[in-house]
Amino acid sequence: MSETSLYVLQQLINGLTIGSTYALIAIGYTMVYGIIGMINFAHGEVYMIGSYTTFIAIIGLLTLGVSSLPIVLLLALITAIVIASTYGYAIERVAYRPLRGGPRLIPLITAIGMSIFLQNYIRLAQGSRDMAMPALVTGGIQFGDPAVFEVSISWMQMIIWGVTLVSMTALALFISRSRLGRACRACAQDLKMTNLLGIDTNRIIALTFIIGAALAAVAGVLLSLYYGTINPYIGFMAGLKAFTAAVLGGIGSIPGAMLGGLILGVTEALTAAFFPSEYKDVVAFGLLVLILLFRPTGLLGKPEVEKV
Amino acid sequence: MKPSHGIFARTLIAAGTLLAALHAQAETLKIGIAGPVTGPVAQYGDMQKIGAMMAIDRINAAGGVNGISLEGVIYDDACDPKQAVAVANRIVNDEIRHVIGHLCSSSTEPASDIYEEEGVMMITAASTSPSITEKGYELIFRTIGLDSLQGKLAADHIINRVKPRNLAVIHDKQQYGEGLATTVRDLLAKAGIETVMFEGVTPGDKDFSALIAKLKRNNVDFVYYGGYHPELGLILRQSREKGFDVPFMGPEGVVNADLAAIAGKAMEGVLATAPKSFEQNPENAALVAAFKARDEDPSGPFVFTAYAAVQVLTDAIKATGETDPYTLADQLRANRFDTTIGEIGFDDRGDLTESTFIVYQLHADGSKTPISE
Repeated sequence: MSETSLYVLQQLINGLTIGSTYALIAIGYTMVYGIIGMINFAHGEVYMIGSYTTFIAIIGLLTLGVSSLPIVLLLALITAIVIASTYGYAIERVAYRPLRGGPRLIPLITAIGMSIFLQNYIRLAQGSRDMAMPALVTGGIQFGDPAVFEVSISWMQMIIWGVTLVSMTALALFISRSRLGRACRACAQDLKMTNLLGIDTNRIIALTFIIGAALAAVAGVLLSLYYGTINPYIGFMAGLKAFTAAVLGGIGSIPGAMLGGLILGVTEALTAAFFPSEYKDVVAFGLLVLILLFRPTGLLGKPEVEKV
Repeated sequence: MKPSHGIFARTLIAAGTLLAALHAQAETLKIGIAGPVTGPVAQYGDMQKIGAMMAIDRINAAGGVNGISLEGVIYDDACDPKQAVAVANRIVNDEIRHVIGHLCSSSTEPASDIYEEEGVMMITAASTSPSITEKGYELIFRTIGLDSLQGKLAADHIINRVKPRNLAVIHDKQQYGEGLATTVRDLLAKAGIETVMFEGVTPGDKDFSALIAKLKRNNVDFVYYGGYHPELGLILRQSREKGFDVPFMGPEGVVNADLAAIAGKAMEGVLATAPKSFEQNPENAALVAAFKARDEDPSGPFVFTAYAAVQVLTDAIKATGETDPYTLADQLRANRFDTTIGEIGFDDRGDLTESTFIVYQLHADGSKTPISE
């Protein structure tokens, strides 16, 4: 392969990795929007809490003398999912459910308030400095001629793809095959009618918050292992990027969030590849503006049907 | 509304009288210490704080300045220009007329305008951006060398010792980092070394894989980074993971124990220009012991510069017998001072007349070895 194509391949690999994690976080935005039509701006903070839980769990397990890496990672993943889901549920219960049925702007404002609260609460509890962890998963494979351009894929990148693929497949199966998944789809179509048919919609809404939080926690685990540093402010940018991915793919659509995340990640990497890398956010958000201009519902979103 | 106006006015007069009375009795001189107490670079603020507070405590223990004891008052600007302006206004309102700070150049610059206008003397122990003193202020001083000196030192080192073939200069698009990066690039260009890549990264960004792939593609063999440690730490860590193993160099903004925590072994051998380690100077042994006794770390780059800032301020007060900022400013410009950072003097702009930077090699265990004089 030529030098340019190897280089593009490397950037695609980088872009797909970051895009996968955008997609995981974006699911939380899109599912909640799909059902109750609100943007949960505190979702980025749930990802941040997932990252902190991962750090604390891993450091705790290593201190306790658990030395098997797969066990440490698995236990950290489970802890992060449990804690973040609890937060996701609690946020919905405390900040959104009491306001349901009110004007649409109100939950949006509580969501922003919740986001600021969680960020500062973690800052006070854990300190505002970057916390760092030594790399646990190191190494990878290299291919291509070193004299031309050597493409590298780290094991961690492969773990990110693998875990994202498994999580997404599990989610897709859950939504399409299980009873609860069907209830979720019913709520997304018509919340009031579903309620009339005897489904506890509050429970389904709580469930979507829990699923979204669990996937954000998975992203938190993956990214804190990949980058090795966290601080209380990481939720904001990650949330903004994931929200962009959700809108890009069509907010409310689960496959849309997956596609949007990947497109955003790859766009950023390719922009940084051929233009100065300070333009990558400009191009990513510029793409969002263009898509909204020509396809206001996003790539896979369905136009909103006027409900009579 | 009228009656409440009356009450308000009376309360104001009462408060004013009370304040005036307090002021007349005051045997203490309040010194503002402004810098980040919170936020991502809070540890630098901590260095400035422990340095200045140590100086204040030791001067008080020795009987104060002309019988007046000093009191350090901490203000938090979070290294945020907007908050720095608010802090500066609060300092003015609190009737404090001597400030040690601010820390980040981007905070110091807007704050300086306010101090100059309101007659407050400010001595920064950490801000190195040349543009701060370019405006020709009367009351603004610093006890640290300028970015331009640091950039020149870095450029000289790269030209004479490194001699790279494909040099990249990366910066964080902030006043401090980009300013330094531009200086280094321009000086190298004059010496005939072309920069193959000159790019900014977004502060707070976590993913530098695209940038690293590009560095690899351009066969870069030396990277100068203008910015702070959180981004450089991640760039180093991700570079080594991706098999991109070339020397890096940074300014004193990256010299920090957290760099080792973030980058781990990847930071071994990184070059950095930093103020001379005053804690290794034998003359400061007693002071280092005093920091250790308090369980404080004297090795940060701004600890001794902050100490020296308090020293020159109090020396000037001692010599003139006054606390008026304008009298003190004249005194600072006209004389030389013996401080923990050596004998120093100030030029017309308020900058140090001597350079305080040298090139260090950093090690993964947090230590550093000087490699130039």
